[in-house]
Amino acid sequence: MNRREALKKFYSIIIAVGASSFFSFEDLLAIDTQAIDKPNLIWLQGSSCTGCTLSLTNIEDISFIDFILEFVNVIYHPNLSHAEDEDVPSILNKAKKELKNNYLLVVEGSIPTLLPHACLFSNIPFLEWIEEMGANSKACIGVGTCASFGGITDMRGIETGASPLSKVMYEANINKPITNLPNCPLKPEHFVYTILYFIKFGKYPPLDRQFRPKLFFSKTIHETCMHFSEFQENIFASKINEKGCLFELGCQGPVTKSDCITNGLNANTNNCIKAGHPCIGCASEHFPRQIIFRSYNDKRNIQVFKEVPFGRKKIN
Amino acid sequence: MQKIITIDPLTRIEGHLKFTTKIVDSVVVDAKCSAQLYRGIEKALIGYDARVAQQVTQRICGTCNYAHAEAAALALEDAMNIKPNKNGQLLRNLIVGAYQVHDYLFHFYLLCVFDFIDVKTIVNYKGTDNNLLKLKKWVETEQKSKKIFPMSPFLPKFKAIYSQNNNLNFFSINNYIEAFNIMVKLDKAVAIFGGKSPHPVTIEAGGVTTIPTLLALEKYKKLLDEVQKFVDEKYLPNIMKIAQEFKEYFHIGKGYANYLAFSYFPDENGNNHLFTGGVVLDGKYGNYDLDKIQEDIKYAYYEDTGHTKPLSNTKLTPINYAQYKKEQSKKNGKYSWSKAPRYDTNVMEVGPIARIIVTYKSGKNPRLNAFVDKINTQLNISFENYNSVMGRHLSRAIISHTIIEKLQDDLKRVEPNVSAYKENEVPKNAKGIGLTEGTRGSLAHWIETDKAGFIKNYELIVPTTWNISPRDSKGTPGVVEKMLIGTKIKDINNPIELARIIRSTDPCMACSVH
Repeated sequence: MNRREALKKFYSIIIAVGASSFFSFEDLLAIDTQAIDKPNLIWLQGSSCTGCTLSLTNIEDISFIDFILEFVNVIYHPNLSHAEDEDVPSILNKAKKELKNNYLLVVEGSIPTLLPHACLFSNIPFLEWIEEMGANSKACIGVGTCASFGGITDMRGIETGASPLSKVMYEANINKPITNLPNCPLKPEHFVYTILYFIKFGKYPPLDRQFRPKLFFSKTIHETCMHFSEFQENIFASKINEKGCLFELGCQGPVTKSDCITNGLNANTNNCIKAGHPCIGCASEHFPRQIIFRSYNDKRNIQVFKEVPFGRKKIN
Repeated sequence: MQKIITIDPLTRIEGHLKFTTKIVDSVVVDAKCSAQLYRGIEKALIGYDARVAQQVTQRICGTCNYAHAEAAALALEDAMNIKPNKNGQLLRNLIVGAYQVHDYLFHFYLLCVFDFIDVKTIVNYKGTDNNLLKLKKWVETEQKSKKIFPMSPFLPKFKAIYSQNNNLNFFSINNYIEAFNIMVKLDKAVAIFGGKSPHPVTIEAGGVTTIPTLLALEKYKKLLDEVQKFVDEKYLPNIMKIAQEFKEYFHIGKGYANYLAFSYFPDENGNNHLFTGGVVLDGKYGNYDLDKIQEDIKYAYYEDTGHTKPLSNTKLTPINYAQYKKEQSKKNGKYSWSKAPRYDTNVMEVGPIARIIVTYKSGKNPRLNAFVDKINTQLNISFENYNSVMGRHLSRAIISHTIIEKLQDDLKRVEPNVSAYKENEVPKNAKGIGLTEGTRGSLAHWIETDKAGFIKNYELIVPTTWNISPRDSKGTPGVVEKMLIGTKIKDINNPIELARIIRSTDPCMACSVH
């Protein structure tokens, strides 16, 4: 496969996420030239599970290795870097000075604030790393629901004080462009798109109030769902595999914004609702709720345990 | 001469691990592994609906999420006293099996292969393969560039003796590149019945929510065939070639030789598991007794000390930052977030070699025994050599091969267009246990529900907790600590032996502490 063919395949991702109108194939070819500055990427994992990293390796059509070698400079990534031990903090400290304001800080997982020792990186609390690396970055990306909203690492009953990236930056008074890419795990197309947009325009794509790219997060799962017409006709499934909208089985689609239905998951192989399961709301700021999936005759109320990240209060 | 080597962080594993070794005359005499991450999910689950456990516990780990999903579903099924129907079990196998092979490829190619191969050797490549030429060009350009971090993320790395065999280097690097495509295929295969991957949603107590259509089965088959080709023609031979090149690693990284494995990969009726459950103690196979499992927390960052049985220590309070600082300054203080599970007083190794050794010794899967014997003859090793760095890598490839064969068989047994899910109410005031094997070994979930069907108590004992455990009250080191002790280090500034040993156990820190 020559370079042009490879890029053509790559471009199919851009078409798939509906971004072709402002990102032409010629734009992509232009990125190809060695003249452009590839963004420097520093990827750190906090209270995380590596799921987002794994998900990122699932880019379809182009090899993940092509992406990391030809579109970005991966300065550090915990699962890719061959550096270990003291080389790691020395890379980060060097980057902080010599690439000052010239790297993208990608954060996977949340940041413990009440128990700083609940996440130690090079024996230093992760919170300190984020404040330092964040302050010297050009911009930050929170990948996955944990980094965006706290996710399961901030469910009710957690004692570590896990905070999303945006909250830590806000409280540390660090004013850097930030974008959140929720979904548990991160959808690789969201990340690739954000990076390509950044390469072309030097800034993030238009974002909503929760710093999510509008392109992916302006509609709820429910609005785009294949069962929407059944919902309008009041046809509800009373059990799994029955025809109808899954709302009565606990579907979180009406309160979850993402493009899971329109663009699918795993290169549009499937999505949760197509697989017969109600949406669990993994991209939502309220994830996880007290009841996610229930029987039709279950009369217990579904409680929200979490509020939106800023000025949040917990409901008991 | 005495020296302390601390490696922190160890990269290319899942999560945050630090370890400290004391070295006397180039030999490790003491080792301590510290898990550096704590979230407290078990305690937080209290008050959530019993079904939430499946979705939340699988998010403890991004790499073996399917195993937590399965164990949580099994625990709830145990509490409900039901089993999935035939299709439910088969689809679950198809999801779990594909994901496990994915994990083994991820572990070997993304995390481990460059422990043995140096990417720089690609500059000697003279062939015509496009992938390799592209990488060669990239390496040459990077080396000439005036970048602050040339060849990042492949440099810097430990200076050590990597494979000098160029054919093996090119073969491995080519497989490394191809492995990404194969992993994408496996993720798609998981998503066909799981909804998405990672974090498949459809494995619920009662079966799998997907209805298997003929088209879906056909798609899965096509993907599986491609994966099977890669595993049999590239992955397994690759490991065997590296094993021949680094033969000494069949003698390095020995554990206690006590193994625990749970029954794994049943047939459609939930019986006749592909891998047998049991323990091997002092070389003898026997059944496991769950009552013997307890967790010791003397050296873990919790307020208490002592040891407890499952479901009795989930409400432990983590120590605060001031207490943590105090423990750090003590000579013999707490040093890890991980608890120390023990079987009676024995330290058990779990994982790929445990599964192979327990199944082999039980003699219940003659096909597997024959395959293992064949490999051993080819490599000129004995069964005792499995207790080593290379043994662990080799076992993963053998398991991958075995699982794929079983998946091919299971695929034929799925009844198209028949529901794989049985509806059941969430059980109230019930208890259940779910046992399975994850990527890294034996996984157990315990659940207890209250009168409303919400979680009253939840406990997990996870593979890496067994392997990476700190010392217990008696001072007995954990499995990985034991593996490190006695290792000879060639170059004290580049202790690659230690990194190779730890990575061979595929530690997952997010899992181990959860």
